[in-house]
Amino acid sequence: MATLHLLSHSPFGDSRFASCLALLGRNDALLLTGDAVHALRAGSTPWESVQQLPEGIAVFALDEDLAARGIAPSGRVQPVNYPGFVELCCRYEKVNSWL
Amino acid sequence: MKFAIALFSAPHAPSSRRALRFAEAALASGHEIVRLFFYQDAVHNASNAAVPPQDELNLPAEWGVFVRHHRLDAVVCIAAALRRGVLNEEEARRYGRPSANLGEPWDLSGLGQLHEAAQMADRLVCFGGP
Repeated sequence: MATLHLLSHSPFGDSRFASCLALLGRNDALLLTGDAVHALRAGSTPWESVQQLPEGIAVFALDEDLAARGIAPSGRVQPVNYPGFVELCCRYEKVNSWL
Repeated sequence: MKFAIALFSAPHAPSSRRALRFAEAALASGHEIVRLFFYQDAVHNASNAAVPPQDELNLPAEWGVFVRHHRLDAVVCIAAALRRGVLNEEEARRYGRPSANLGEPWDLSGLGQLHEAAQMADRLVCFGGP
């Protein structure tokens, strides 16, 4: 059963991001929103971790949050808008928010 | 698809706005929202007494318009609301407070409503934090 993991905290402020990556199932996905998109800063430690995730794990980021922080999605990261966010919640069987 | 949406953050948190935009997109995509549940600091989203700066988004007002327009079931956790001074007429009278700041379209009720919403919905999506 695949889960969509929803993150909004910066990966540099606490251990949520690292804990989440450690708990991802084979076909789970990440959706980065808010300050969590800072994990996609090229060359940073969280970015390295994202690059090293197994193939089966999809990585999404909310487009408005990328734009607001001047981060260009690269590589395996797929930007989504709000309708896309809704669609992801339908595609995955559970949505787990890291509050 | 049936969605239940739970919000945990105050109106000035970006996640409150994100929850609203998500809810709007869910309905626009043809899905149903079986219940909105406002918990913890999110109870302030249901207050009609908040006065945000004019150049900022008035999220409590936007939520009110959205809930009213779509006639949604919007439940505010009563325990979380009382401890933060978010009261309807009935609770203000009961506890001898001088005014109420919560009215329609909101319902004050218990946490059981979140549990029930999670059972009724295909997906529970929670918004909180930053």
